[in-house]
Amino acid sequence: MRAVYAIVLVLAFAALVTDHLTSPSSGRAKSPEDFPGACAPCGAPCPSAKK
Amino acid sequence: MTDITLGTTGAAGAAPRFDWPFLAAAVAATVLLIALVLLDGQPASAALLVFGFGLGAVFLKAEFSFTAAWRRFLVHGEAGGLLAGLLVIAIAAVVIVPTAALLPGYGGAIAPLGPSLIIGACVFGVGMQLANGCGSGTLYTAGGGSGRMLITLACFIVGSVVGSLHLPAFLALGGIDPILAADYLGSWGGLAATLASLAVAAAIVVGVARRKGSAFQPRRALVIGGILVGLLSIAVFLAGGHPWSVTFGFTVWGAKIAGALGFDFSQAEFWQWAGPKRALGDSILSDTSSLTDLGMIFGAMAAAAATRPFARTAWPPAKSLLAATIGGLLMGWGARIGFGCNIGAFVGGVASGSLHGWIWLGAAFVGSYAGITLRPWFGLSRD
Repeated sequence: MRAVYAIVLVLAFAALVTDHLTSPSSGRAKSPEDFPGACAPCGAPCPSAKK
Repeated sequence: MTDITLGTTGAAGAAPRFDWPFLAAAVAATVLLIALVLLDGQPASAALLVFGFGLGAVFLKAEFSFTAAWRRFLVHGEAGGLLAGLLVIAIAAVVIVPTAALLPGYGGAIAPLGPSLIIGACVFGVGMQLANGCGSGTLYTAGGGSGRMLITLACFIVGSVVGSLHLPAFLALGGIDPILAADYLGSWGGLAATLASLAVAAAIVVGVARRKGSAFQPRRALVIGGILVGLLSIAVFLAGGHPWSVTFGFTVWGAKIAGALGFDFSQAEFWQWAGPKRALGDSILSDTSSLTDLGMIFGAMAAAAATRPFARTAWPPAKSLLAATIGGLLMGWGARIGFGCNIGAFVGGVASGSLHGWIWLGAAFVGSYAGITLRPWFGLSRD
């Protein structure tokens, strides 16, 4: 189990850093709720907006 | 959250042993992530990583567990764990309800009320009992060295991506807009109503425990842990602008992995909404829930490795791993359909004065009861 953890940790961290270095990252960290029309933590619209 | 034993070795009472490689890795990884976001000039992101780290350490050391607390209440009527959870919400609500109502740039956790919320929460409840941990519980136990929960985390991620593809269809079933206490009663009236609702819930829980002749006083560690988690929840809210949430980060991680493997999300409605679209395109470190999730994993890892050899236990039986797999998938799917987990939907929702938090709790309780009845099929105790 310990070896599995070490491998997962290294691979996941490498993927994370690669993603960060190859993706836009300027600006404050955001939640989907920060965007106009969001009605849930995932950014789903309100039922009233879909009618 | 979970009651999984994370594993110890050595004689009882022996002096704690540091596991230097994993302790150093957890601390170094956190420091590096903090450095990366500070290079982008984002101190709030660094704060979210730090607060997540604290949450991971506190959850692990206090063994804070919604999943086990719910099971003990449903099976035996024991109320201590549930009351500790309500304490967390009460502490967080004191800041979140008025701040979200009064200060620009801050908002509460809200969600539509309808079939999607109820179905998702119910499915999540089944999953959390099979997996033996909810969203935050999966994070801190996986980070703390439980290989079983590492599998749950992977399946949680897969399930949440599938859920993201199904959510628009469930939203089409109908529903009504979020109902926030502060919208009807004002900021302070909303806070009073939220605290009153928590007091009523606590009274009901204690009443059930007394009728069953069960204990209802939380352990001292749970009270201290609950206070710390409540304060850290406030810190996350102030740094991120919204209540602490866990599962959206999993969905983003899964979608990024799927995208790297060639999956095209351009036709998926969920990923065309502004928030998810931005999260999928930007760095993971630009997503608030991912920041606290990562901090929590490394915080739990550091806390575990600081006191005992890390991840030295044997893998559990195959049936238990199957339950971890199914539980993770159900939780992931349910969290996306039901707008979050115990943290984002229940703790965050109720602490924001949003009615959906209580509805989520009721539906997840029903699912948990079903999940508890299924546990023996997988060689798991109902206790």
